[in-house]
Amino acid sequence: MNRIFAVADNTFRESIRDKVLYVLLFFAAATILGSKVLGWISIGQDIKIIKDICLASMSLFGVLISIFIGTSLVYKEIDKKTLYTILAQPLHRYEFVLGKYLGLLLVLALSLLIMTGVSTVYLVMMGGVTGVIWFQAIFLIYLKLVLITAFAIFMSALVSPIMGAVIVFFLYVLGHATEVLRNLPPQFEGTASEKILEIVYFVVPNLNTFNLQSEAANNVPVASSFVIFALLYGLAWTAMLLILACLTFEGRDV
Amino acid sequence: MVAIVTHSLSKTFKSLGKASVHSVTDLNLNIEENEVFGFLGRNGAGKTTAIKLLAGLLKPTKGSAALFGVDTRLAHARSMMGYLPEHPYFYEYLTPRETIAFYGRLRGLNSKERKSEWERISELLDLRDIADRRIRGFSKGMRQRVGFAVALVGDPPLLILDEPMSGLDPLGRRMIRELILQLRDRGKTIFFSSHVLSDVEEICVRVGILVSGRLAACDRIDKLVGNTAKSVEICATGLDDLFCRKQSNFILEYEERKEGGYRLVVRDTELANILAMEINQQGGTLLSMHPVQETLEDFFARIQDSASDIALAEG
Ligand SMILES: Nc1ncnc2c1ncn2[C@@H]1O[C@H](COP(=O)(O)OP(=O)(O)OP(=O)(O)O)[C@@H](O)[C@H]1O
Ligand SMILES: [Mg+2]
Repeated sequence: MNRIFAVADNTFRESIRDKVLYVLLFFAAATILGSKVLGWISIGQDIKIIKDICLASMSLFGVLISIFIGTSLVYKEIDKKTLYTILAQPLHRYEFVLGKYLGLLLVLALSLLIMTGVSTVYLVMMGGVTGVIWFQAIFLIYLKLVLITAFAIFMSALVSPIMGAVIVFFLYVLGHATEVLRNLPPQFEGTASEKILEIVYFVVPNLNTFNLQSEAANNVPVASSFVIFALLYGLAWTAMLLILACLTFEGRDV
Repeated sequence: MVAIVTHSLSKTFKSLGKASVHSVTDLNLNIEENEVFGFLGRNGAGKTTAIKLLAGLLKPTKGSAALFGVDTRLAHARSMMGYLPEHPYFYEYLTPRETIAFYGRLRGLNSKERKSEWERISELLDLRDIADRRIRGFSKGMRQRVGFAVALVGDPPLLILDEPMSGLDPLGRRMIRELILQLRDRGKTIFFSSHVLSDVEEICVRVGILVSGRLAACDRIDKLVGNTAKSVEICATGLDDLFCRKQSNFILEYEERKEGGYRLVVRDTELANILAMEINQQGGTLLSMHPVQETLEDFFARIQDSASDIALAEG
């Protein structure tokens, strides 16, 4: 366990020295503060719009951090050959993968905390109120990032960072569109594509499970069972992806 | 206790659309505890591949290896080994002090032990001056020292070093040589690959020579190079070029010495005696006559040739 934390600690330190993180956080803050402009356009709706945009940018920029840092985590160590001396230590390969993963989760938690702080203060300054649902929505965004980061690290053990980034982003988009796959237009009925898309529906995690954006924007509370379901759903997917990542890495020559 | 044992250890690299490369084939090694073993071979012979197999970085295609009886596929085997890669790379944003602490944590040392490890290792490798500078700006030699330092973390009984002297200046090389001998005196086993045969002759008793992935020879250096003289060297004055040319049917080579006179080489002592008499008859003066031992380098060259002959014969 200590070894996992050693790797996690190091990954965290490495990531917070990464310029990409600050660029993304800067854009996230700019988007959050710029949401007021869009609020003006739709008169009387500004608080709602600000909330909407804040949550959307937390989700998007969180995912971008996860993708940019996550997909290169393992690959970079192979590429820069820093892995040789690490894997020659009495360390299990899964401990290395999990350490990297936990390190990035810590970075994401910190980033989300900063974004939450900025948006909440901004909202209150604009005269908005934030209820439990606001924080529930942010919690689910974090859960979504936990899942996507697991996928990113799996890809990182398998393909190059650019390829991995494309695949993870594709999954992110597809994961939000699973409803579309479920309710296909009638033209598809009975065709081969219907079957394929149906399979896609089942192998892609439904990321809308983690979406409380409109509820939070409209300040409508949700049942806690909704949050608990999302939690279990997210953790199950994460566990599966992490197992895949560890297995992939276990058999790899470095 | 045997430090390293391998049983027909083999590694084949396969990649799509390319011919597979047999980097290491049927390697059988037996390294005793407290031995300094030199692992030799030309570029591409498979030394690094074999070492990575021992360090658990590569999975053998066939065969197995064990460190102190523990299979190299198990993490526990690595707790008994310190490894210096061919090109040591570390996190560029860490300092040597932080690097040693990080590897100490991976080896399960607590913070007090990590501190004393730093004291011990930085002293051995003279890292004090660069302790708190980031590795990013380090020269090749400094990196090599940090690499060696990392291999020593946790004081493992076995050190596997891939070209520990490469890229070091003469003083740096001497430091590593002395360090290896010092570690041997403390009971450590050292397995290292090298291209510098003079270093190898100086610090190892046994060597293994890899030719195209196969172990072509593995024995004590004195047994390999033998006690027989390869040739006999005679120095004499009062001769001229004509004399040397006349004897050229049994002189292997000759040259004029800078300090005057000639240096003549013949195949064995019998011919040397005949030549000595000739020199006397010609009114020359014999200065010295002594046998030339085969060096490790000669043996190394010889075994490459015979191995390639075998390869040719096998088609
Ligand atoms: N990852 C790999 N994929 C494919 N082939 C490889 C790989 N690693 C090594 N090889 C091949 O294996 C052979 C042995 O390489 P290796 O690096 O072990 O040689 P070496 O003895 O260490 O050489 P050097 O003295 O130059 O360091 C070479 O033909 C090399 O091309
Ligand atoms: Mg090599």
